[in-house]
Amino acid sequence: MNEPISILNLILNASVVVQIVMAILIMASLVSWVMIFQRIFVLSSIRRMANVFESEFWSGKDLRTIFIEIESVEADPIGIEHLFYSGFKEFTRSRQQYGTQAERIMQNVQRAMRVALSREEERMEASLPFLATVGSTSPYIGLFGTVWGIMNSFRGLANSNQASLSVVAPGISEALIATAIGLFAAIPAVIAYNRYSAQVEVIMNRFEAFSDEFSSILNRSIQNK
Amino acid sequence: MPKLVVYVFSVFLALLLHSAVVGLLLVNWQAESSEPTQIEPLYINASLMRQNPIQTRKREELAAQLRAQQKKARQIAERNKALAGLNRDKKLEPVQIDEAVPKRVEPPPPQSTLSKARQEEQLKRQREELFRMQMEEELTLAVMEEQERRKAVTDDEKSMAFVAQIQQDIISNWSRPPSARNGMQALLRVFLVPTGEVVDVVVQESSGNEAFDRSAILAVQKAEQFQVPAVAIQFERHFREFTVLFRPEDLRL
Repeated sequence: MNEPISILNLILNASVVVQIVMAILIMASLVSWVMIFQRIFVLSSIRRMANVFESEFWSGKDLRTIFIEIESVEADPIGIEHLFYSGFKEFTRSRQQYGTQAERIMQNVQRAMRVALSREEERMEASLPFLATVGSTSPYIGLFGTVWGIMNSFRGLANSNQASLSVVAPGISEALIATAIGLFAAIPAVIAYNRYSAQVEVIMNRFEAFSDEFSSILNRSIQNK
Repeated sequence: MPKLVVYVFSVFLALLLHSAVVGLLLVNWQAESSEPTQIEPLYINASLMRQNPIQTRKREELAAQLRAQQKKARQIAERNKALAGLNRDKKLEPVQIDEAVPKRVEPPPPQSTLSKARQEEQLKRQREELFRMQMEEELTLAVMEEQERRKAVTDDEKSMAFVAQIQQDIISNWSRPPSARNGMQALLRVFLVPTGEVVDVVVQESSGNEAFDRSAILAVQKAEQFQVPAVAIQFERHFREFTVLFRPEDLRL
């Protein structure tokens, strides 16, 4: 072979099926990386916000002023603020409705906070299933491309009279690129999935603890009156 | 809305990462594949030139020396003979000696009253000297003879080395046909010119298998040129024409 085998040549000369497989895998890799970066920003912003809010919350500030502050912001509240916002909103509303019936008020508040909690969980885990899918299936997709390519190159070998390594080698090499891309897509996706699901779990625990504490504070405020 | 900003930013980052990986891969791959280095063929420049005058002169000098030595040897032999004659004569008439011999070796003693004992002693000394010279001469002759013999031996060895080289060349160019069987043998006669080039190959004894014969002829023709001794006598003796015996398992010259 006089011409050097460049990886570009290999990809361009690959059979259509292998090319399609490569395209799918590259797309999957791209999208999963987009999600990885996006998750980094989203999760870190939620955590930062929670830190700020909790320090403010435990500083002994009046809950009503905090509520008004959150309401004055145009955007929908996110994360721990969302929890607080929906809980406090439900608290004021039910209090007007039921007066001193503490149990009913607390039931409503807790339900509202649970809804907010599940919304938040949904938001945090938004693209994790995609990462999981990429991580578990892209090696198989790559393997499929490789098997297909090797199959083709061996078929070509059967047709050619001179069976030499240089006849099969490019085909196998091009086929193996598919597996390589599959692994390239899968490994970061798996790592990111594991890491982010652990982080989401930590944040969710924190939120649950906060909602419990918050509801107990509200309960005490009803009882005191 | 910050969500969109986050989205765009992460898309940008992902694209950057992928293009970086692809770029790295392409660069590395190219560097790896452009690795085969071309081996420069060894050029040998040959040009015509006059024979080295110093060498020829040296050779002539050597030849002259040899001749001189031979002459000396002959002289000494003659002298020996003369001495023997003298010795024989001495018994009859010892007086002649002190005229014949001392003349050559040393001027005759000025005193005519030399004692007889002294004369005899002188004579003895001369004889011893002559004997020693003779021995030396014989030794040099023997050494020369030995050198000649050794030279002949090395010539033979050299031609053996050339034979081995030729065998190697033919073997490396011989591709045995699939129909070759053990026990087949083809005898080829090869004709060379003094530069070592093959001018003709003929089958002297066929193996009975045409493919085998053809492969043998091809092997010799492919070798094209063999290394042969530059000495014309050696070449004429062993390499002007020689036979090669081809066997599937071996090659014999």
